[in-house]
Amino acid sequence: MATLNINGQTMDIGEIDPSTPLLWVLRDELGLVGTKYGCGIAQCGACTVHMNGAPVRSCQIPVGNLTDQQITTIEGLAAADGTLTPVQEAWVELDVPQCGYCQAGQIMSATALLNNNQNPSDADIDAAMSGNICRCATYSRIRQAIKDAAAKMNGTAFYDAVQTGEIA
Amino acid sequence: MKLITDNLSPELPGFFQDLTSTPKLEIPELSRRQFFKVSGITGGGLVIGLALGTGSNKAKAQSAAADATSTLSPYVQIQPNGRINIFSKNPECGQGIKTGLPLIIADELDCAWEDVDVVQADIDASKYGAQFAGGSLSTPMNWMAMRQAGATGRAMILAAAAQQLNIPLTELSTSNTKVVHATSGREWGYGEFAELAATMPVPDAASLTLKTKDQFTLMGKRFTGVDNHDIVTGKPLFGADTRLDGMLFASYTKCPQIGGRALSFNESHIKSLRGVVDAFILDEFGNPKMFNPGGGDMFSGVAIVAESTWAALKAKRELEIEWDLSNAEVSSWSEIVERAYAMKDEDGEPLMTTSRGPNGPTTVPASKGDAEAVLQNAATVVSGFYEYPYVSHAQLEPETCTALYQNGNVEIWAPAQIPQSGESGSAVLLGIPAEEAAQRVVLHQTRIGGGFGRKLANDYVFEVVAIARRMEGRPVLLQWTREDDMSGDYFRPGGFHSYTAGLDSVGNLTAWQDHFFTSTGNDTAPMTSADLNPNVFPKDVIDNVKLSQTMFHNAIPTGPMRAPASNAFAFSFQGFMHELAIASGKSHVDFLLDTLGDPRLANPENPQSMHTGRAANVISEVARISGYEQGASEPGRAKGLSFYFCHSGYVAQVADVSVNANKEVKIHKVWAVGDFGFIHNLSGAENQMEGGIIDGISQLFNAKITFENGIIQQQNFHQYPLLRMPQAPELEVSFLEPEEFSPTGGGEPSMPPVLAAVTNAIYNATGDRIRKMPLFELGYKLV
Repeated sequence: MATLNINGQTMDIGEIDPSTPLLWVLRDELGLVGTKYGCGIAQCGACTVHMNGAPVRSCQIPVGNLTDQQITTIEGLAAADGTLTPVQEAWVELDVPQCGYCQAGQIMSATALLNNNQNPSDADIDAAMSGNICRCATYSRIRQAIKDAAAKMNGTAFYDAVQTGEIA
Repeated sequence: MKLITDNLSPELPGFFQDLTSTPKLEIPELSRRQFFKVSGITGGGLVIGLALGTGSNKAKAQSAAADATSTLSPYVQIQPNGRINIFSKNPECGQGIKTGLPLIIADELDCAWEDVDVVQADIDASKYGAQFAGGSLSTPMNWMAMRQAGATGRAMILAAAAQQLNIPLTELSTSNTKVVHATSGREWGYGEFAELAATMPVPDAASLTLKTKDQFTLMGKRFTGVDNHDIVTGKPLFGADTRLDGMLFASYTKCPQIGGRALSFNESHIKSLRGVVDAFILDEFGNPKMFNPGGGDMFSGVAIVAESTWAALKAKRELEIEWDLSNAEVSSWSEIVERAYAMKDEDGEPLMTTSRGPNGPTTVPASKGDAEAVLQNAATVVSGFYEYPYVSHAQLEPETCTALYQNGNVEIWAPAQIPQSGESGSAVLLGIPAEEAAQRVVLHQTRIGGGFGRKLANDYVFEVVAIARRMEGRPVLLQWTREDDMSGDYFRPGGFHSYTAGLDSVGNLTAWQDHFFTSTGNDTAPMTSADLNPNVFPKDVIDNVKLSQTMFHNAIPTGPMRAPASNAFAFSFQGFMHELAIASGKSHVDFLLDTLGDPRLANPENPQSMHTGRAANVISEVARISGYEQGASEPGRAKGLSFYFCHSGYVAQVADVSVNANKEVKIHKVWAVGDFGFIHNLSGAENQMEGGIIDGISQLFNAKITFENGIIQQQNFHQYPLLRMPQAPELEVSFLEPEEFSPTGGGEPSMPPVLAAVTNAIYNATGDRIRKMPLFELGYKLV
């Protein structure tokens, strides 16, 4: 019986066709429907999840190839007590979503960017986000939300550093 | 093979007509009969059930949300804990209506927004009237009704408080979900009066006192979407997120040559594949080439029902289907283009318009004055032939819907823009008499992952209903692929305009001639959204206009897309207006303002016609804030201006554009000024304007659907690219909010002007006049 590590938990996926893309395992077998189907050919980014922290298109990854990989989905971002991440918070506060269908993928790409680079330039944002289509065209708010989230994260890091005595 | 051929009347109900052309707004007063059917009694669930027929599917479906609450009206309930449920009646497809309509109610109810839980209403015309998302009509059609709904609830709460507290009504007021007694300084939450309020007599609409604008506590500010938290945490909101016990998953495969009918397929092989539960042919129903949301119309195809989406999609790839092509389309876009260009200097048939006189409707030519004579004497004559293609909606959520068929009844979970037609059409498809449809067809609306007009059609709803009928007793979720979507759209139709216009010796526009080329499926009228509105600008503001039309036989399905007709006309009309402005020797701004003339209703007999003063104001304002000037600001860089009026909204936009020697185009910034009357949620209006601008730029550069011998040539985003983050310009959006005009919708009028704003900017920067969309075919590349 196959298992996957999703959002820090080992999940049983039963006897599944190993060619099944991770996207459909998440949606149909595990009920994690936050990850969306948009094109099936890695063009739109709606199905973006993290594999070992890196953004990947889950419509292109057969589940048979996924042993020992750490997968994070949109459902796994917020803390167990429901506290949103700075990226999620910025998305809500800036009213980024219109239809909202692409936004899980956008947030996963933005989160991966900010996990590696907490001061992204516009060019960094362009590079990290160019694989995600928003048909409602919320791009200017996505860009601003990434900058807002970066500011929140830097603020938190500064606060944490003060608390731990790293910064006086 | 037996085909069901009896078809519904091709006549669409009135509001569908409005969706497909410039809408005629009728702002309905609240219908007391509909609105208060269930009011006045506590324990709403039970009461709603009684009102709709005890034991009906619908009653059961709707009772849960109302349980243990005090129901003041179909729009307002008070929960036992004092929180307020406000029901949002219309489908949410990204236009922000799920936030926007409840906000209006909450303000008149005098609630704190934090105390409100917004609940998506079920589909029920007896309670909510028309429920649809289209035509930028949700706000204007519901503005007064929502205000009255809130004010009614407030009046009932105040009446209950007066009785319960034994304080004269005149001494009580409300604030922030509280009843206030000013003289004693005491206050009570609305919840304390909920039970009694629900028994209060419903006040007459005429007796209600609505707030004045300065009394609004919520409206006019920025409010974020009520579903935002659920969206960013991946909660199930959308159609394909529906999960039911024992659910099956289906794919549906139609003929690539549109209108072909499935005769046979490799059935035993498909049924032998892993996870496949069943596979079968469905017949064509109705006339699905024609846009008809409420008819049950659907194309023939092969359904595969499986244990998972992947099993259904994987098996779909192995289908081998034999098609009957006798009724399939054979038209080719390349051929139509050739024919149109060959006729560009000829006259078409006179465009006709219907007017209502004392002796009933009469059909007369839409032309007015004598454009030909005026053109002969004009100081300057300018001509231009404009082309634009078929376009796919490309909403990011491919069509999907879930249905459960049991004992002759069906329950549906649909992301649909006209869900009521999904219900009525499903009844037609299933042979349920219209009078039983309300009881036997239940439709739950889900959030829509992008509509843009595609989900005004309900073909995917009817397909899953037909599949579910075969799988009786088990819910079935139908999932279209992107390829199904892109090749199976009701497309924005392509077309052509051959313009000739005349200027007098001082550069004023005196005559306008437009020969419009379009497609027809029945050889009598254009396809849906493929018609030229006979009153289109500038007809109402100049004296001599000649409008003619040529129709090519071509029944590739078409339907409304965001700003129907305007989404293409704005490109050609406002590009050609710029050509005329250049020829006139005036500035572009002056030419537009001179053409508009004095502030007035352009057609005094048509209250929905353009107000020239509002048009002039947005043009002047966008020119001011953008520092618009005609000339290039530096080599290869200039601004371009455009204006459009549609769906009762006025928008002017300026684009600042650079073009290099390789025809790479960088759009630095777009300024937009809109007038949609009073803006009740600024964040929502800004979102629509921002999205509309980028939607327009995306289409302008890259969107083109072609067909050869009835087969759509584009299948997925690699062949139909959408604009991405690096190409998105900076945006600056503002609104004029004239006091005397009530709100109109922003979803559609926000998009059209930018098309010509960009092409006019390219002209100003390079001298290249663009008369064809999309620009990639002219060698331009958006960077």
